[in-house]
Amino acid sequence: MDVSGPGPTDEELAARAAAGDESAFEAIVTRYQSRVFRLAWRLTANEGDAADVLQETFLQVYRKLGTFRGDSRFGTWLYRIATNAALMHRRARSRRPAEPLESFLPRFDEDGLHAATPAELQAAAGVEHRLDRRRLAEKAIAAIGRLPDTYREAFVLRDLEEMTTAQVADVLGLEPPAVRQRVHRARMMLRGYLGALSGVKA
Amino acid sequence: MTGVTCASGVALLMDYLEGVLPPQTASELESHVAACERCRAYVESYRATPRILRDATTADLPPELEESLLAFLRAKRH
Repeated sequence: MDVSGPGPTDEELAARAAAGDESAFEAIVTRYQSRVFRLAWRLTANEGDAADVLQETFLQVYRKLGTFRGDSRFGTWLYRIATNAALMHRRARSRRPAEPLESFLPRFDEDGLHAATPAELQAAAGVEHRLDRRRLAEKAIAAIGRLPDTYREAFVLRDLEEMTTAQVADVLGLEPPAVRQRVHRARMMLRGYLGALSGVKA
Repeated sequence: MTGVTCASGVALLMDYLEGVLPPQTASELESHVAACERCRAYVESYRATPRILRDATTADLPPELEESLLAFLRAKRH
């Protein structure tokens, strides 16, 4: 989240940019553009959409700089803008509803025991040996795009962007238990999906 | 023996990995998983899932997008 290296902190740059320093604003863009693009790509599952979200995010950052109060870190504030921009973009696209991933949740018998065998249950962990990188990349981004919006946002921020649960809660305006619940559901669905990609339905 | 089943244990996994379970519950979950081959396999693949998907979804900002972003933002500000 804090990508400040040597030089001014994010908050110092934000204050200068809000006071009209164009070079400070462009320094913020340079510092965050790669991260925002990757986040947007993971949230929209589409490169063209990610490019639109990238532009929209920094335009909003520019327009809202005067409202940044420092209640949270600048990076958290910027991620909140980017996440909302991606969500608005997906809604505006009104795509056909994606086939849900519910069928990949784990299955249990009447005694609460795993219905699948150990080898089937482990299959997801070996998916990288079963598919080439390019195909796995295509399948991975498509599967993330099939998660319900609320699960996808929490999962992408927590597990792909590697924010802490507390930071994700701050970005999404949730309590930490709600973040954990959403990330957990997403992990279970995606784990089952990866297992199926490995050739095992478990 | 504890009251933890595969199903009830799976429901606790995220909280366990984040360290927010009560110690007694965490210890019961650990005992179940240690004795259950299926849960050990499940936990391994559950823990591997975020890293696999993180590695599979890296994306570099295309250089032409970097240029068009700055041009777009400059046009909007002037």
